[in-house]
Amino acid sequence: MQTFSNASSGAIVLSLAERIIENRAYLSEIDGKIGDGDHGVNMAKGFGMAADRLKDKDTTLSEALDTLGTVLMTEIGGSMGPLYGVMFTEFAEKLDGVPAIDAATYSTMLHAGLEGIQSIGSAKVGDKTLIDTLVPAVEAFDGATANGKSFDEALDALVVAAEAGRDSTRDLVAKIGRASRLGERSLGVLDAGATSCAIILKELSLGARARLA
Amino acid sequence: MTSKTSSPRKGGASRSGATDTSDVIPLRYGDDPYVWACWLYYEDGMTQGEIADAMGVSRATVNSYLADAREKGIVNISLEPARLASLTIAQELKRHFGLADCLVVPSDDNARPLIDSLGVAGAMALQKLMKSGDTLAVSWGRTVMSVGEHADVQALQDATVVQATGGTTAAFSYTPDLCAASIARAIGARCVGITAPAIVKSGELRQMLLDEPLLQEQFATLAQANRILFGISSLRPNSTIHTSGFFDTVSLQDYLAAGAVGVVAGRFIDERGRPVAGPLDDRTVGISLDMLRRIGTRIAVAGGFDKVPALLAALRGGYANVLITDAATGHGILRADGVTGLDTRISQRPKLAQTPSSYRAHVKKFLNNPNEVVEEMLDGVVRAHRDYIEPINGSHRALVAKSGPRPGKVGLVIGGGTGHEPCFLGYVGKGLADAVAVGNIFSSPPPDPIVQCAVAASGGEGVLFVYGNYAGDVMNFEMAAEIAEEKGIAVRTVLTTDDIASSPIEDREGRRGVAGNFFIFKIAGAACDRGLSLDACEAVTRKANVRTYTVGVALEPCSMPQTRRHNFEIGPDDMEIGMGIHGEPGVTRERIKPADDITDAIMDNIFKEMKPTAGDRVAVLVNSFGATPLMELYILYRRVAQRLAAKNIEIEANWIGHYCTSLDMVGASISILHLDQELTDLLHHPCETAFLRIN
Repeated sequence: MQTFSNASSGAIVLSLAERIIENRAYLSEIDGKIGDGDHGVNMAKGFGMAADRLKDKDTTLSEALDTLGTVLMTEIGGSMGPLYGVMFTEFAEKLDGVPAIDAATYSTMLHAGLEGIQSIGSAKVGDKTLIDTLVPAVEAFDGATANGKSFDEALDALVVAAEAGRDSTRDLVAKIGRASRLGERSLGVLDAGATSCAIILKELSLGARARLA
Repeated sequence: MTSKTSSPRKGGASRSGATDTSDVIPLRYGDDPYVWACWLYYEDGMTQGEIADAMGVSRATVNSYLADAREKGIVNISLEPARLASLTIAQELKRHFGLADCLVVPSDDNARPLIDSLGVAGAMALQKLMKSGDTLAVSWGRTVMSVGEHADVQALQDATVVQATGGTTAAFSYTPDLCAASIARAIGARCVGITAPAIVKSGELRQMLLDEPLLQEQFATLAQANRILFGISSLRPNSTIHTSGFFDTVSLQDYLAAGAVGVVAGRFIDERGRPVAGPLDDRTVGISLDMLRRIGTRIAVAGGFDKVPALLAALRGGYANVLITDAATGHGILRADGVTGLDTRISQRPKLAQTPSSYRAHVKKFLNNPNEVVEEMLDGVVRAHRDYIEPINGSHRALVAKSGPRPGKVGLVIGGGTGHEPCFLGYVGKGLADAVAVGNIFSSPPPDPIVQCAVAASGGEGVLFVYGNYAGDVMNFEMAAEIAEEKGIAVRTVLTTDDIASSPIEDREGRRGVAGNFFIFKIAGAACDRGLSLDACEAVTRKANVRTYTVGVALEPCSMPQTRRHNFEIGPDDMEIGMGIHGEPGVTRERIKPADDITDAIMDNIFKEMKPTAGDRVAVLVNSFGATPLMELYILYRRVAQRLAAKNIEIEANWIGHYCTSLDMVGASISILHLDQELTDLLHHPCETAFLRIN
């Protein structure tokens, strides 16, 4: 059975931060089309602060996710800070104390993050939010393992579904948040939260995949 | 190569394209609308709007034709290769190290020595970055001196240049005092020296010198510096640092042995940018690395390939946030930090930032950096209102009332996003709120500053949180309340829900908090100041919330500083009744009506819920959303007063002006506080804040 080691995998969070910082301008630009235009700046700030704290440290993946979650939850504010904050701290909690992470643990982690977000936010699939990325990604992962696919194949399926979920927001009318004010005019534009969520899930899963043994 | 011609046509006077106005593409462009659009734009110099008319398409389509034409390679914009390489390297340095700005001079410019090129570039940076009233700390070195020789910044007022370190032997021509004097002359600034040696014989002597009033005054100026210009010295054997005289009295071996690779303002750093301890540390008179890093704009100017390790260390350590260097050095820094693929990018054209869709015109605003508006505003607020508020632990995101919190009093903490000024920070002061947590624009503050506010406001009798009912605020304030409770502070929360248009009466708890915050904060602050218990404060605040009724009307939307575009649209002849303070939907969108009819619609809504009887007393707030002038507010108030008088309702007090805004939204809200005796007493209780004073 394929697993990856929790120890020393904290570096995955550093590369996660790198991807978010790289995409700062892009995320702000798409947010600017139907929102405040500050999504990239705020995300880059939070992920950058977490990366500073983790830099040069050899941490487990669960410790690194906990640091990231705590920073986002306590120091970013708005709605995105608590939402992503709760997702990452839930991820961290489910991995804590697990030396070798298998597909079942990974699935437990994904579900805990999703439930954490749903416990404080009210968005559903189709509302043009990050939920449109997260829910199909989790479903694809579970579906792949249920069909007897290996951990690495399930991770690939997750990434494909996350990106398809992100792209689905292009054809949705925003129902929640500031973009909902635009009604039909939000059609044709990606949701910034769904886009950053796809970046996060992809980097996390590629990091896990590269460490599978 | 194609370039935009320099004589763009104006209006439609000589628009030859106009003869082509039709849905049919003129023959000469083949069947390709992209080529047609590009020709009109780059060769005929027409604006995108004119092209839209000529082609019979929308501006958005023209915009996408032009953007796609670049992608498809129909249009190639070429830059001279050396300049392109410099730009690519500068952009990558900025991105990779998270710099505020970066200027890279071409390396193959043989016209003049590198030191002069860097001096010219540094001079350009000073021209761009220095503002009136700035204090610029200046370190020493050949490159810094070269900046002074090339700079000529006119029209700065009240600028100060301060030496960043003590002085050295005059054996060379770029001593700290000469560098500072040269830069001061070049930008027309007052020059403050550090009149002590940079390195003294002993730690005791250094301490004695620092106790001197003159040096204390000079260091006080240094501590005020908001920008610094410095060179970076390498510790390689051929470096001028060995012959400069700065460290003449000691061997550098101690530092080299400890892994030092460079010197920043007389202080040693290792390859990761960490300070390296050594014998000179307590003998050095000058800026410390910590002081340096707290300065807002930190301009490093240095070049030459031997400096790559030192520059990389300085960037990793975050000592510089503006870098001025040359292409070869910049390229070397990036390679040394593991950035690959730059070489292929330099040989290709850089991917141009996509032209943002511009189907709506940008709104003009007073801005420096759109990402810094909140910080810059808060800097101004703290300076302007220092009689009422001060930062908690140096943070502008958590502000406490001067002489507000006191033992035995319940603390009142308010807060929310920015963009609503004077809400919320204008209502902090004695007799009103004790502390305010400040978020980004229209975005809740995170828990941390809220907790700091709770701690600062706590007088041992508990703290009351009062804020508007928005999902983000509730999440963050609830987390903060939990943390404060863990610290032993009892917290109660009252969510304001005065916007009666936001939800029907059956869902009163789900309503938004808007301008009626003003009344609810006032009552809560007075209750706390009178020394009521936490229970009693909470109860009367809830009563004030239930008895406050607000309805807003928007005529035009607001625009965000980051996008400078309207967030949504309200038709040319429309208005929206019941709109929220972030532009959330209202009850109805209808044709705009005379002011009295609008006021009547609002007051009818309010009366329906308030159910007043003759002889009742109220307080009235007529609030501008940002762009509506007082003139119109008085017109609204006039009608409010008429309607209240007709029902024999007494106006106990009124406020008219900007009390809770939505950036530059055009519109206004009317809030009524339905008074009883207790609320009347608390309304008149004295308070001292920046935007509300009652004696």
